[in-house]
Amino acid sequence: MKNIATKLVLVTGLCLNLGFTMISTASAETKVGLLLPYTGTYASLGNAITEGFELAIEEAGRTEEFTIVIEDTEMKPPVGLAKARKLVYQDEVDVIAGVVSSGVLGAMRDFIHQSQVPLIVANAGNNLATGENCSPYIVRVSFSNGQINRPMGTWLSENGVKTIYTLAPDYAAGHQMIDAFTEAFTAAGGEVIGSEFTPFGQTKDFGPYLTNAQASGADGIFVFYAGGEAINFVKQYGSFNIKTPLYGSGFLTSPLYVEAEGDAAIGVRASLHYIPTLDTAENKAFIKAFQAKYNTMPSEYAVQGYDAALALMAAVDNGGVDRATLASQLPHVSYVGPRGPLEIDPATNNIVQNIYIYDTVMENGALTQKIIDTVPAVRDDVAGCQM
Amino acid sequence: MFYQTKLRSITLIAALIFLACYASFGSYFAREIVVEIIILAILAISLDLCAGFGGMVSLCHGAMMGVAAYGFAIMSAKLGWPLFPSALIGLFAAVVFSGLVGWVTSRTNGIFFIMATLAFGQMAYTFFFKSRWLGGDDGFGGISRFDLSMIGLETNDSLVFTYIGLVILLLAYGLTAIVMRSGFGRTLSGIHVNEDRMKALGINTAAHRAKAMAFSGFIAGLAGIIAAQHTLYISPELLIWTTSGEALIVVILGGLGTLVGPIIGAILLVLMKHEISNYTDYWHAFIGLVLIFTVLAGGRGVFGQIEYWFNKLTQKHQSTTKPHGDDHA
Amino acid sequence: MDLSFWILQFLNAMQYSMLLFLLSIGLTVIFGLLHFVNLAHASLYMMGAYIGISVAAMTGSFWAAFFLAPMFVTLIGAVLYFTLIDRMRTAGPMNQVLVTFGLIFVFLDLVRMGWGDIALGLDGPASLSGTTRLLGVDYPAYRLFIIALGLGVMATMWLVLARTQIGAMIRASVENTNMAAALGINVSKLFFLVFCFGCALAGLAGVAAAPILSATTTMGITILIPTLIVVVIGGLGSLEGAIVGSVIIGFMETFGAVMIPSFSAVLTYALLAVVLIWRPQGLIPARG
Repeated sequence: MKNIATKLVLVTGLCLNLGFTMISTASAETKVGLLLPYTGTYASLGNAITEGFELAIEEAGRTEEFTIVIEDTEMKPPVGLAKARKLVYQDEVDVIAGVVSSGVLGAMRDFIHQSQVPLIVANAGNNLATGENCSPYIVRVSFSNGQINRPMGTWLSENGVKTIYTLAPDYAAGHQMIDAFTEAFTAAGGEVIGSEFTPFGQTKDFGPYLTNAQASGADGIFVFYAGGEAINFVKQYGSFNIKTPLYGSGFLTSPLYVEAEGDAAIGVRASLHYIPTLDTAENKAFIKAFQAKYNTMPSEYAVQGYDAALALMAAVDNGGVDRATLASQLPHVSYVGPRGPLEIDPATNNIVQNIYIYDTVMENGALTQKIIDTVPAVRDDVAGCQM
Repeated sequence: MFYQTKLRSITLIAALIFLACYASFGSYFAREIVVEIIILAILAISLDLCAGFGGMVSLCHGAMMGVAAYGFAIMSAKLGWPLFPSALIGLFAAVVFSGLVGWVTSRTNGIFFIMATLAFGQMAYTFFFKSRWLGGDDGFGGISRFDLSMIGLETNDSLVFTYIGLVILLLAYGLTAIVMRSGFGRTLSGIHVNEDRMKALGINTAAHRAKAMAFSGFIAGLAGIIAAQHTLYISPELLIWTTSGEALIVVILGGLGTLVGPIIGAILLVLMKHEISNYTDYWHAFIGLVLIFTVLAGGRGVFGQIEYWFNKLTQKHQSTTKPHGDDHA
Repeated sequence: MDLSFWILQFLNAMQYSMLLFLLSIGLTVIFGLLHFVNLAHASLYMMGAYIGISVAAMTGSFWAAFFLAPMFVTLIGAVLYFTLIDRMRTAGPMNQVLVTFGLIFVFLDLVRMGWGDIALGLDGPASLSGTTRLLGVDYPAYRLFIIALGLGVMATMWLVLARTQIGAMIRASVENTNMAAALGINVSKLFFLVFCFGCALAGLAGVAAAPILSATTTMGITILIPTLIVVVIGGLGSLEGAIVGSVIIGFMETFGAVMIPSFSAVLTYALLAVVLIWRPQGLIPARG
């Protein structure tokens, strides 16, 4: 009796042990480094992306599975690179997610490629990162500067706008956004009759430029501005009572700060990869969860963080257990998220997504977005990417 | 007047040993921090030379560093020149830039001098920021480190690179100390103390100040080369006036006019910044308070204060005026 | 380019000049009288904007913000004066630059802690929204208000300095502090009053600019450089200098942006360099 009992106990114990080991390997932890600006002008973007990211993990009930290490890039390329090195060598993360600034991304690119650590880009839109400087280890789930603006160029020309005057801040992203728009707009038969670049970060008073734009007599003004500059630009556009319609890259009237723009934002037509008023089941669920947790409407930055986490979890489910397998699985991720159907283009590792043309309108006393048109599955050209 | 006192030598050696140990035995990130300290310390030494000994508080030292870094990066990464000659060209560019700024501002003093250097620094920044072929504000990469394999050193190894950086720091210090001890340095101190008297002695003070700035640019350029090779990437924000402002904070924090003070200041500032940012995003306020406190407490800085107490204790006779004594520009 | 285009740009230039004037006059008078380089002046400008936004949010009135914000900023200035500024008055420009630089950092994070990182907007008063017809063009009424405000402050200060006793005392103290004290003028009380007035102007500029430029954590640092340039070019310590400086910089930046956009960023610095080399004491310095 004793012998059988002991044997039973031993066997049960053994089975339980095996069972535990099997469970622990199945839910092996993935270590994620979140590399974002938490100080400086883009701190609010860094926080929004983090909120989206953490919400996705929490919603899926997988907070035990993922260890998140947070580092501040301060939006400075050398600092971003140093923190990336820390995450890789000291914290030994399996994957890095984040990067708001294209300058930081550029500084990190060679390091990521050489140390073969997968990077999920959750904002930085520089075309080159999925063009000339692409890498099998860099996957972008946010957008590329060209991707947001080409559809707008084509759409505007096809919808009766013949001449355009462009304005944007004088830095790399500003140029890329305008170049993409101009190329598509002129290819579709339109003409850009004037273009100006305003000193980046220093221009607060757009009066002179707005006056110029109006005097040009163009059918429309197309601009790219984001953050504080967007708020100033739209408000000042409103205050001058300019009759020329204002079009833009959607960052101009981003849900993150459109309220600060007030009535001036009404009627501005723009293109963006995410609008909170998207009428899909996935988006409604996302908004409900986001509002419940953070008490505010999500912006496109929050969605980028959310999708970065979704992509990561999908890659893990498909067998991504370490850097190499995660890197090979991430480009194959595809699902329907709050933005609509998403997949990664294996030729560039950039996201393929819908771009929405929308108007900013006033409804129930609050500013919101009304979708005019959808440009489905916008994909970037290969543009020199060799992987 | 500059003296290489025993206290300064001991502090210097101690600081270098501390940094070497911290890099060797600390975590991986420690090496990143040490290189950051080295770059800041060299920049601060070059600023101390101008501000502490020459009384010329400049806000364009970041730009001098940036000019050297860009010169090196353009020659090696964009034009494919070999690395050592590229570095020399970068340093030469920094010397020319700072010499020009020094010559143009040589007749201004005090707040006007500060403003003038600010203007030139910002002009240089704008130039690089607007250059599309240099990547504009995104900068460009593809920079390589010196190839020292012929003497058996693998510069791509971060520890080796850190040690090389420490050697360059010692070199920068030594070079500056020698120059400050020489006739050139004494004349500079003399101009700071009483420019009219020096003019009466027949010295072309304007030319001398320009030369001092040029030499300062050379030292700052060393920091720039290290910075470029550290990240293997370059962008214009090295040239923003706030970088120069940070160097000034380091000099004051450590001790103006001591040459060792900047090194101590750099160690303190960088370590403080990293420690505090572990607890809060609001570390700027803390640095600001430290700076205010340092100035209110007499403006001697940490090492300057230690030196002051040490000298009082050993009752050293302070016959020749120390530059940071009562001479506030 | 027809006449209305040039009139519009002229008004744009005037408005920017007036904003620069409001800021630079406070800074220059403080330097001229107290010999104090107060970089934190820009931070007080930022505080004016943020406090104005909070007051407007609480009371629902722009005008309440417009009058109360400068008062709160003056209070902050008074505290700074007694704790820091008075002590540093004789400390020389470098230490003053350092201390006020430190203050900039402190205020930056205070604002981030109090109001967050996202840019905040302030709506102008309903009475000034929309455009007004002036000189044949439609120009935003609020911007005209700023021009009027700047001109009003300019006229008031000129009157006070030229025609009143306190103005005479200030001018005397700027020209020769010791002599003025010897003549029985309570110079230290004058210093305090002038400093507070300068702070009030900074706060006023902040709340006045907020409807156009909105409030961001970097707004102080961004406006600091143009303000310093105006003060140095115009001549430290003189009202005329501040007027001339702000008009020159305001017009140059506006028309530079219009006509040669790629160089406009460097123009201001180039002008500063030229003035510093050719006439370092500024165009119209306070003393000879």
